[in-house]
Amino acid sequence: MNLKATIGMETHVELDTKSKMFCSCEVVETDEPNVSVCPTCLGLPGALPVPNKTAIEYIVMLSLGANCKITNEGMFHRKNYFYPDLPKNYQISQFDFPVGVNGSLEIVLDEELHSVEIERVHMEEDTGKSVHMGSGRIDSATSTLLDFNRSGIPLVEVVTKPVISTSKMAVAYIEELRQVVIDLGISKGKLEKGNLRFDANISVADENANELGTKVEIKNMNSLKSLEKAIDYEIMRQSKQVEKGESVIQETRHWDENKQVTVSMRTKEGSADYRYFSDPDLPNMIIDQDFIDNSKKNIQNLPTDKRKTLKESGLSLSDSNYLDKGEKWLYDLYLSTVENTKDSKSTFNFLTGELQGQMRKAEIDELPNWVDSVKLANLINLFETNEVSFTSAKDILTKLLSEDIDPKSYASDNNLIQSSDDEEIKALVTSIIKDNQDIVERLEDPEDKLVGFLVGQVMKSSENKVNPGTVKDILLKELFG
Amino acid sequence: MAKKIPSISKINELFQNKEMKPSELFEQVYETASYTESVLHAHLELFYDEGLKLSKESDNRYSKNESFGLLDGIPIAIKDNINVYGYKTTCSSKMLSNYVSPYDATVISSLKKAGTIFTGKTNLDEFAMGSSTENSAYGPTKNPWNPDFVPGGSSGGSAAVVSAGSAVASLGSDTGGSIRQPASFCGVVGFKPTYGTVSRYGLIAFASSLDQIGPITNTVDDTRIIFNEIQGYDSKDATSITPEYTKLENKKIKVGILKELMQEGVSKESQNEVNKVVTLLKEKGHDVTEISLPLTEMALSVYYLIAPAECSANLSRFDGVRYGIREDASTSYEMMNKTRSVGFGEEVKKRILLGTYALSAGYFDEYYGRALKVRSKIISDFKTAFDKVDFILSPTTPTPAFGFGDKTKNPLEMYLSDLCTIPANLAGLPAISVPTGLSENNLPLSVQIMGKPCSDYSLIDFAESIEEMVEFNFSPNLLKEKNES
Repeated sequence: MNLKATIGMETHVELDTKSKMFCSCEVVETDEPNVSVCPTCLGLPGALPVPNKTAIEYIVMLSLGANCKITNEGMFHRKNYFYPDLPKNYQISQFDFPVGVNGSLEIVLDEELHSVEIERVHMEEDTGKSVHMGSGRIDSATSTLLDFNRSGIPLVEVVTKPVISTSKMAVAYIEELRQVVIDLGISKGKLEKGNLRFDANISVADENANELGTKVEIKNMNSLKSLEKAIDYEIMRQSKQVEKGESVIQETRHWDENKQVTVSMRTKEGSADYRYFSDPDLPNMIIDQDFIDNSKKNIQNLPTDKRKTLKESGLSLSDSNYLDKGEKWLYDLYLSTVENTKDSKSTFNFLTGELQGQMRKAEIDELPNWVDSVKLANLINLFETNEVSFTSAKDILTKLLSEDIDPKSYASDNNLIQSSDDEEIKALVTSIIKDNQDIVERLEDPEDKLVGFLVGQVMKSSENKVNPGTVKDILLKELFG
Repeated sequence: MAKKIPSISKINELFQNKEMKPSELFEQVYETASYTESVLHAHLELFYDEGLKLSKESDNRYSKNESFGLLDGIPIAIKDNINVYGYKTTCSSKMLSNYVSPYDATVISSLKKAGTIFTGKTNLDEFAMGSSTENSAYGPTKNPWNPDFVPGGSSGGSAAVVSAGSAVASLGSDTGGSIRQPASFCGVVGFKPTYGTVSRYGLIAFASSLDQIGPITNTVDDTRIIFNEIQGYDSKDATSITPEYTKLENKKIKVGILKELMQEGVSKESQNEVNKVVTLLKEKGHDVTEISLPLTEMALSVYYLIAPAECSANLSRFDGVRYGIREDASTSYEMMNKTRSVGFGEEVKKRILLGTYALSAGYFDEYYGRALKVRSKIISDFKTAFDKVDFILSPTTPTPAFGFGDKTKNPLEMYLSDLCTIPANLAGLPAISVPTGLSENNLPLSVQIMGKPCSDYSLIDFAESIEEMVEFNFSPNLLKEKNES
């Protein structure tokens, strides 16, 4: 029996608004509890919600960014359930009229483009935070402390259709979504801060089956590593059960980072009845064409657009995908540098490998102001044309990051320019062949590893001042004719 | 000695002419309260100290001719489901017996700015659910006309204090008739404004799509003055509107008599009041016709699905976690469970259960969903009716006030006492109750006038003309007895 996994993702994106969704409390990042609260976000008797227009604009932007159809009359619904950190014991959310429906996001897997269909994009308010004392869980805690700073922060939930088949694809989807919200400027997109939190719905069934298997939900992850491992683990766990002919229980599980397994949280007996109904405190959101057009104005250069530009510069899809997910300055730097170099791949490699590596090592976040794309292009061209060795290019870069130098003059001043003078090299080669007769006799063909050794000897005797390519050419000519 | 309280305009004249000081009026009202309260139990709390202090500040303003306007120094009582900063807001529930509000409702801020003095908080049916004030966790309020009878509800305390003279006016809230029905039972004016004209911010919600704050007063002009102060757009209430009030072009007014409220189920006595007013209107040359809105008969059923459904969610926040009473238990869910079992009274629990059921998966479409559909049909029927008539006239209540315990055994009968008032809430219409006469057993009877949305001021004008025509000059026994003694 060949099994296939089907995955659907539900992702909560915390919007980066100044104030909360339904009150004017500031959104704060602090460990001090209950400092940004008011009657509305504490659910005090008589307090009323008033929608945050910026948040609605952001949700419309995200819906458009995810290529959704916009619902012109969105509705707020109450989702009823009791929980101590949910101050009204209902959450204002959306039900049958979400802001965005039927969209898609383009993702990159290796060198292939895939489309992940989006079912809906809807708005809801965040809950408060429970700190369970004496235990991590509410049912075994000795007491629970409540912090309502988070209560009422606007969240967008993005729900995919069950169209994802592997953990890698799920990770690529989250990476894409994260970049979309960052490029839209609507969320900080920091996973470690929980700005994106995701649930994965996973089922396993015979690949020829018409129906999906029993769904298991893994709740509340915020790291891509955990997501990948949790999905892989869950597919394996469910596959074993299906292969043994056992039935998978419909339940909610969570990923235990320490034990590297998924653990059952609660069994779902049918679906919970949230008794959704339209919130009588909130009139419908009228999202007319003007509103949509205005929101569109703020949308530019999403990852797909960036990938298109990068591909046009000659990069592969996976390299483009790397750069469109990176920091904006690197993307910009690449595009301006590649204009003055011949090879897009080596430009990409030098900037993302050497430059980023050295910056990380030197612990600098941004380029010194004298380092521009022209200097970097000159440097790349120096080693691309074999005027300097790659080793020298790295040294020049190190210098450039600490001092305002011109790469080419620096290379000449410091004797780094490699010689391509045939006569000079021929003399060195002849001398090395003479000194290494024992090795020369053992040589069988031009592909022999020992050729490399001899080239190395020539380089060494020249103190790396000659072009290794020319050395090899001359050496082979001398040895094999 | 109790004196019948003059109208707000008259009081203001006395203040301006230095014939009376606000603090003197406050003392008079407080003195009345000090003996009526022992009989009526209309106030849950009196704000004597702060009231006296504020009324003396008002004295000062008048002495310097710097008063804030007509409401400066006027003692007004507040229904105890409207938040006043620093005071308890109990909703007449055990649940909130210890709850002190940290903020003012928008209507309270408006009245404070106008220099109004608050006498205190008035009794109500728990969370405004009821029609007799018998559902208060702190005991019932009595009717000033006869303490054997209920004052109506849910704003029974607010109606009784105005009727008894322990406040010049009061604020109530009206979800299905909770201002108009007790105003009618107590022989005073009660007004439910157009939905959205008065901010609900700070009113503890019963059914958000129906709730509206409004005044209870001695005269229609008093209603106009208070409404004028509390109406208007509020950015803290998303359902608040920027009203564009309609004006009446013609002197000759077209009045519709609602056939469905002039038939079996409404007492002859109540119908007679309408007939009496019709005769007077015709004498003045107004145009009176009978109209029929058959869905009015469904209004009660629709209301008893929509209001409980909304309240089932609105009252979820009372869980013992952040405020109010808390029952000890070993887990948080158990604590919430016990707190809600102990904190809520029977009627409240009944409605929460009813609403929870109506919203449940599998029943939603059949109950709540259908109720919403009928409600929108009712709204459009009224719209059509108001193309033909300016106002719709009916009794306010099917009967005059009933006795304590008369209807507590049969909830349906209790619910029927809101038969005439509920349609205006469902359709968001302004509606006013004006006392017109006395029943056989000397209890007040009233008529109700409904107008189209945002016709509030012209509705008030028309109600004032009826007030003048009927010359209702009776006062409750309680006042007479005291005056005679």
